Amino acid sequence: MTSTEPRSRVATGTPAGGPSAVDPMLAAAERHRLERAFRMPRTRFLIGLPIAALLLIWSFNGAQFNFVKLGEGAVNMGEFLSRLFPPDFSKLGTILALLLETFQMAVVGTVLGAVLSLFVAVCAASNIAPKWLYYPTRWVMNIIRSVPDLVFALMFVSAVGLGPFAGILAMTLGSIGSIGKIFAEAMEQVDRGPVVAMQAVGASKRQVVQYGVLPQAAPLLTSYSLLLFEGNVRGATILGLVGAGGIGLELTTAMRMYDYGHLSAIIICIIVLVTAIDQGSALIRRRIT
Amino acid sequence: MTLVAGAHEVEPRVTTAELRQALPLVTVRGLEVAYDAQRVLAGVDLELFPGEMVALLGASGSGKSTLMRSLTGFAPITGGAVRVAGHDVTNLRRGQLRTLRSEVGQVFQQFNLIPRLSVLTNVLAGALHDAGPINLVGGFSSAHRRRALELLDRVGIAHKALEPARSLSGGQQQRVAIARALMQRPKVILADEPVASLDPKLADSVLELLREIASEDGIPVLVSLHVLPLALAHSDRIVGLRRGEILVSGRTSQLDAAALAPLYEDEEPGDDEH
Repeated sequence: MTSTEPRSRVATGTPAGGPSAVDPMLAAAERHRLERAFRMPRTRFLIGLPIAALLLIWSFNGAQFNFVKLGEGAVNMGEFLSRLFPPDFSKLGTILALLLETFQMAVVGTVLGAVLSLFVAVCAASNIAPKWLYYPTRWVMNIIRSVPDLVFALMFVSAVGLGPFAGILAMTLGSIGSIGKIFAEAMEQVDRGPVVAMQAVGASKRQVVQYGVLPQAAPLLTSYSLLLFEGNVRGATILGLVGAGGIGLELTTAMRMYDYGHLSAIIICIIVLVTAIDQGSALIRRRIT
Repeated sequence: MTLVAGAHEVEPRVTTAELRQALPLVTVRGLEVAYDAQRVLAGVDLELFPGEMVALLGASGSGKSTLMRSLTGFAPITGGAVRVAGHDVTNLRRGQLRTLRSEVGQVFQQFNLIPRLSVLTNVLAGALHDAGPINLVGGFSSAHRRRALELLDRVGIAHKALEPARSLSGGQQQRVAIARALMQRPKVILADEPVASLDPKLADSVLELLREIASEDGIPVLVSLHVLPLALAHSDRIVGLRRGEILVSGRTSQLDAAALAPLYEDEEPGDDEH
């Protein structure tokens, strides 16, 4: 296979006062490489591949990942799962009341989290915030994201006592770290054109965000808020473990008491709730995108 | 340098006598713009008078867009004087810059509308600079709404007022963008390649609309184009840039394709627009 452009030209410099004169022709060697059906990967790929493989093996070993052990333990796992049946719905009223509390916690935690995240995200979007604000906001979000929600829950339980309020506060703070970062990235990805147009009409910074950025990012922001809500419903069940309200405490108690029928009923109810929320979210997402 | 060629069939709408009587709304003297070490404009002089439509021609990378941007403080001016609608563009604080921009309507190649918002809201966005406190909650006054609808009537798409901008054709979107610029009650309109994304028929209609605005409202319109026949058919005056300097300047009626050909001689296709 021969190159149609045997001559290789070197890019020239840019004369002062004139447009840049970058040579549009491909170098002959590069053209030849691109024309080949099968080409040797680049050196960085050849070096990177074994490094990635070694990292993976090292991590498998470190995490004590063992398929054989899983196979051997499958019988015990089957036995555990068999104990969950039949589910015992005799305390369905209690389960539904706690599930409702979990749902309410998730609603409040998501709304507060999403609204606060929106403000934080504006400060953490590189195309909106000045550097002196952008970097500290990102650092704060990184710190929040590094702390598990359970730690926040314990912190707020000690501050405001047992109950769903502590859970909501933990959820809200956790949301800022996670969803705030995603909101900021959604804002950074908007088309620059409308933003420039808003600057061009003499809009203020707030107006540029309100009209140039948010309307473009809105579908993603809504979608991520729904994702946050789904996560918060699941998260609220965990927060209950430390007494921060919701169905988590009932779940833990059932496990400790070896009340597998009740445990099974709780899990089934959680699955129904989460599935219903997933379906509802999917419906909303389809409408907004 | 002015190249004068044979007479053109298009009659100027603004006579030279009328222009001499009016004060220019844009005055550029010895403008220099550089990005890092690269000089993009060198010694550019330009005047825009009320009511005239001036076509800015030049090859890709000749500095057309940079010249447009420098008039509203979007390009780093390194030398010369730029005065637009009474503002000294080289010496403005942030608030003053916003005021200047609110007085200069801008039309872009890619329309730059907010796709999900309605046509009406897109036009209303032109009034953001004086929208007042009601706008904190996303509102606009009835007076603004009435004016936006009148402008949509003028550009012929009032029936699409509540449709999202993204549902409109390219030509319709550019009309919305023009209505948004008019919503600013501009003293000058700058249109940077406004018809480059449109087919020839739509391009003609959009340029005709801009020329109508220039002559009826007395607003100077500076429009950058890369199609010579469009410039010859729709402008009162042509300014030609080549490698950051003005090579051709004259009344359209006195220019033809041959006179403008030097603008594109020995130019290699560029991938970066200045």
